[in-house]
Amino acid sequence: MSERQLAWVIDLNKCLGCQACTLACKTHWTTDVGTEHQWWLIVNTLPGQGHPRGWQEMGGGYRDGEPLPGRLPKREEWGQAWDFNYQEVLEGGKGQQVHLLPFNPDGSHPSWGPNWEEDLGAGEYPNAYFFYLPHLCHHCSRPSCLDACPRDAIYKRPQDGLVLIDEERCNGCRLCVEACPYKRIYFNPIAEICQKCIGCYPRIEQGVAPACVRQCPGRAVWVGFLDDEEGAVYKLVRKWQVALPLLPHLGTQPNVYYVPPLSPPPIGEDGEAQWGQGRIPMEYLRRLFGPQVDQALATLQAEREKARSGQTSELMRILIAYRFQELLGPFTVNPSQLQRPVGQNPTLT
Amino acid sequence: MVQVRGAMGLWAERYREKWRWDRVVWGSHAVDCYPGGCPWYVFVRDGRVVREEQAGTLPQIEAGVPDMNPMGCQKGACWSHLLYAPERVTRPLKRAGERGEGKWEEISWDQALTEIADHILDAMTEQGPESVIWLGTPEIGAIPARAAATYLGHVTTDGNAEFQDMSPGYYLTWGVFNPVASMDDWFHARLILIWHANPVYTNIHWYHFIAEARYNGGEVITIAPDYSPSAIHADYHIPVRIGTDAALALAMCKVIIDEGLYDRRFVQEQTDLPLLVRRDNGRFLRQADMADGGREDQFYWWDAKAQIPVPAPLTTLALGDVEPALEGTYRVRLKDGTEVEVEPVFQRLCRRLEDYQPEKAAQICEVRPELIRMVARKVATRPTKIFSGWNPGKHYHGDLMERSMALLLALTGNWGKKGTGTRSWAVGGSTAWFLLPLLEKADPAEAREVYRRLIEALETVRSFDPTLTREMALIRVQQELGMADPRTPGRMVPPAFLWYYHFGYKERWNRREWHDPSMKRSFDEYFQEALEKGWWDSGWARVWQQVEPRVLIEAGGNVLRRQRGGQELLLKHAWPKLKCIVSIDYRINTTGLYADYILPAAQHYEKVGFSMPSIHHLTTVLADRAVPPLDQAKSDWEIAILLLEKVEERARQRGIKEVTNRAGQAISLEGLAERATLGGAIRDEDARMDLILRSDAAIGILSGDASLAKLRQVGHMRWRRLGLLGHGPSQAADIRPHETFSPFRWHVEDKLPYATLTRRAQFYIDHEWFLEAGEELPCHKEVPPMGGNYPFRLTSGHNRWSIHSMNQTNKIILNTHRGEPFAFINNRDAEAKGIKNGDYIRIYNDCGSMIIQAKVSPAVRPGQIIVYNGWEPYTHRRWYSESDLEPGMVKWLHLAGGYGHLRYRLLHWQPIPVDRAITVDVEKVSP
Repeated sequence: MSERQLAWVIDLNKCLGCQACTLACKTHWTTDVGTEHQWWLIVNTLPGQGHPRGWQEMGGGYRDGEPLPGRLPKREEWGQAWDFNYQEVLEGGKGQQVHLLPFNPDGSHPSWGPNWEEDLGAGEYPNAYFFYLPHLCHHCSRPSCLDACPRDAIYKRPQDGLVLIDEERCNGCRLCVEACPYKRIYFNPIAEICQKCIGCYPRIEQGVAPACVRQCPGRAVWVGFLDDEEGAVYKLVRKWQVALPLLPHLGTQPNVYYVPPLSPPPIGEDGEAQWGQGRIPMEYLRRLFGPQVDQALATLQAEREKARSGQTSELMRILIAYRFQELLGPFTVNPSQLQRPVGQNPTLT
Repeated sequence: MVQVRGAMGLWAERYREKWRWDRVVWGSHAVDCYPGGCPWYVFVRDGRVVREEQAGTLPQIEAGVPDMNPMGCQKGACWSHLLYAPERVTRPLKRAGERGEGKWEEISWDQALTEIADHILDAMTEQGPESVIWLGTPEIGAIPARAAATYLGHVTTDGNAEFQDMSPGYYLTWGVFNPVASMDDWFHARLILIWHANPVYTNIHWYHFIAEARYNGGEVITIAPDYSPSAIHADYHIPVRIGTDAALALAMCKVIIDEGLYDRRFVQEQTDLPLLVRRDNGRFLRQADMADGGREDQFYWWDAKAQIPVPAPLTTLALGDVEPALEGTYRVRLKDGTEVEVEPVFQRLCRRLEDYQPEKAAQICEVRPELIRMVARKVATRPTKIFSGWNPGKHYHGDLMERSMALLLALTGNWGKKGTGTRSWAVGGSTAWFLLPLLEKADPAEAREVYRRLIEALETVRSFDPTLTREMALIRVQQELGMADPRTPGRMVPPAFLWYYHFGYKERWNRREWHDPSMKRSFDEYFQEALEKGWWDSGWARVWQQVEPRVLIEAGGNVLRRQRGGQELLLKHAWPKLKCIVSIDYRINTTGLYADYILPAAQHYEKVGFSMPSIHHLTTVLADRAVPPLDQAKSDWEIAILLLEKVEERARQRGIKEVTNRAGQAISLEGLAERATLGGAIRDEDARMDLILRSDAAIGILSGDASLAKLRQVGHMRWRRLGLLGHGPSQAADIRPHETFSPFRWHVEDKLPYATLTRRAQFYIDHEWFLEAGEELPCHKEVPPMGGNYPFRLTSGHNRWSIHSMNQTNKIILNTHRGEPFAFINNRDAEAKGIKNGDYIRIYNDCGSMIIQAKVSPAVRPGQIIVYNGWEPYTHRRWYSESDLEPGMVKWLHLAGGYGHLRYRLLHWQPIPVDRAITVDVEKVSP
């Protein structure tokens, strides 16, 4: 185990599915050739097949301590980086004969992408339901990717527990992708290596919170050390136990925790609201977040009731986050205050 | 055994190296997402913008209320990708094929400006200066470019009509359409009705206050036909039938009155509900009825104590010793000695509400009566906000919906205090920006002096009628003198009349079967009556009978995407009349594709500006120049000055000294740039911005040390007061330094009257047309079958991924959804039509048809089709988009004028085409 463990808490009741975290991540790390199709963090609408398509059925992780076999997602299951016929439409002289369209690298028209099922949901009107799930590397305490790597290229940093891929040791064999039950590792076909969320370690090292945390306009994401008993992350995960790991039964001990979604009551056949229950089936939530989800939702509701009746609630106070800095854990440095001139490493090209 | 390793190899340095920069510059995106003006850091490396990140530096305003950080959304987070994008334009382009063909010739700036200047001069001399039209879009970068219109006597079309964000029902009620609380005030609400809005898509940067209000003990109820993305975080979703929101609101009003839950004092004091109405003619009892020479705007209460009619004071809302009756029928003697029966509006309202008893309303809006009662009781018992966007105003009967929603707030005392009210868009906070054309020299002291003279002018107006508040005097000046001086700040014309005569709307608006059946006469009869009575003369409505448009300039906007009624209508009717069409933009949009010239403008990171200063955050935010404009692009201020200089030069060469406009004013074509730049002092955009900021400081809007240099240090400055121009005065409240902002406090706390005919929140409109239509009081009317008799209703709303069409074609954003336009359809409807998720469907009606990808979802109400707007037409097949299905109907009552607050002034009361809930059908098409 690492000496300390960083963890994320994402409140699905504040998440808007806006992809600000997605784009903050993308513009930081995956703009180079070979990484265009990589979305180290993506927000998907659930229920849904997610990204890659059907990842929950692809195996990986552990059962009773033994690794579960996993399979490699196909390229079309990931979805590819699309380009568009801008030149043809804007200055091709073809007028309305052409219109802007996405193309896969092979020229085909896309039929899947990282967020293909946005806002589709499940159920039947008027009781449709859906919610948003930001999905990044879980920086597991027992990372199956690390176990699966034949080259010892994956390791866990002692100071913060981030799971990182040594891109010099990695030979792109992709056994880690198979082993990851969350399918949060990508293959870079140009560099022929595997790549994934790096926990924004260059930011963290400078005391700046990860981009997905600091750039979340919904103020839905917290970061911090799990052992910091004064921190919001500890309180939400350990003390109040309203933040739960995703698919905990897969045994990797993930460190991204989710405050599960409340939802409006369903409307019965007679048109009356079924008060006291949410419209997202509990079975579905238990499958995602384990049996603790019942208690977590009950705690949330009970504390909301307290707030409604004018009592103070530590839990509500934490989830409100009166100050932006409360979300950032110990990483409250303002990036504009840093001097980060280019060319500090002449050995790098 | 988990392996732990501390040392990181050389590879790790590559990521550290990625996160480096040479400079950090304050930036913002200056678009109208209300509020725009998110403070960003823009990171520059090797002379290029590489990234941006929300600054997260806004202060907490009120103790115990969350701060506004990190304000900024996903669009802002990849704005830099637009700088170097394929749709970017960096050289002047001249059309080399047919309009819309996409064939271009690169030309020099000098050639482009010379040819455009000649077209402008041709138009001005042949048709008059009004024939050169600058479309009024809110893109703030366009405003310097439109300075050209100020000095050349051209017209600018009213922005609120162009982008159609008017709230007519709120305007009818309050005399302003745009009371806006600060974002953080939403935290104070105990009940938030998200109603006709989808803030999860459209207010990403401040939705958190709603989520946090919920954790603070508040409740959220979303009222929408579909289970919208803004319903998922609600405590309840009310699946209302499309277009029946007025019935729902009125049913709640009925419950609140029947159960005695209404705020009697608030109703008596703040509204017209106690005012007496004559039973013989349905008109308010006026002083002119009672006495010779009596005022037409003096109304009466029945004092329940003294049992006499007493004049409702013109100068205060305070009741004094009077107990205005809300019920009862009384007799009063008129000046001719006859007696008539009168009754308070409230009593008439109660009769009207008999039609909205919950069981009856449930038949209309398909919401269970018990639910209506439950929500009504909640509204009546806690601070409530209605999060309405600009969706109701885009409905044919949106005025009735908004009046009903305002009535709900009135009965429950829900405005003028923290955590209450509703919202619209409102900008303000820079008076100097508007005053610039009135200055003679670049000196903040002069700005202060001009401002002082403006206030003096208002006092002069008030000296003629001391009962006017300053707000009323200001409105009067805008209404009556608005067009007189070509330099009038923000001078605009309501474009409906231009559209009627020249854009092909006459025929559309006369499709009687697409109007409400209560329209008793033909649309044309109302239209002609309105013109003949001179109701729209302050908006130069009659000019278009004489003037043919010749030059159209779209600076920063995209009319062929935006216009309700569709590009076909414009291309068929307006385009042939236009000798020259210019797009000034940093990108090629659909309007640019159909233009004759595209002038390459600087993008937001390449010029100095401040973003749309909005009452939502009461902050002036710097959008600085992070990098110089790419290639040959120029800032829009520079483009404006270059154009003025070229017009001047060509006029001199052609021997044209001045032209005269239709108001008989001489427009001199000499010294144009000299005047616009105050003798050259503000030719430089830094100097211009510095003058604006220091002038705002001199006026007292910003703190005394405000300057460009200061703003470059701090990035943003909170306002000290709202100022007199922009939408500041509409708020009727002062900024308190350490509190959230709530509008209408002057009314509720200080008892200052409203700027309506009755000087109260007015629910009874006794204009003859409204009486004829049965809309003197709010009511529900069915959405007319605009588009023909088809089974589906097409609804829309702003999408999640762009601000209008800006950013919609950003490649990185396109990759986060389907990369092309789509329509949502209910799964059962889709099944019945044989449509599967991802199929292409044709949506059509009597106006047109479009082909689009289907997204099949149970979240959509059966019978509803949703196409979120903002798609560039050129992302659609044949470039036909949903606007080509929208008839663009105008409700005839919105031509009404000559009545109290029903007069034109910029951005306010005027006819505006609607687009929601039009009729369509769908069918599957082969791919």
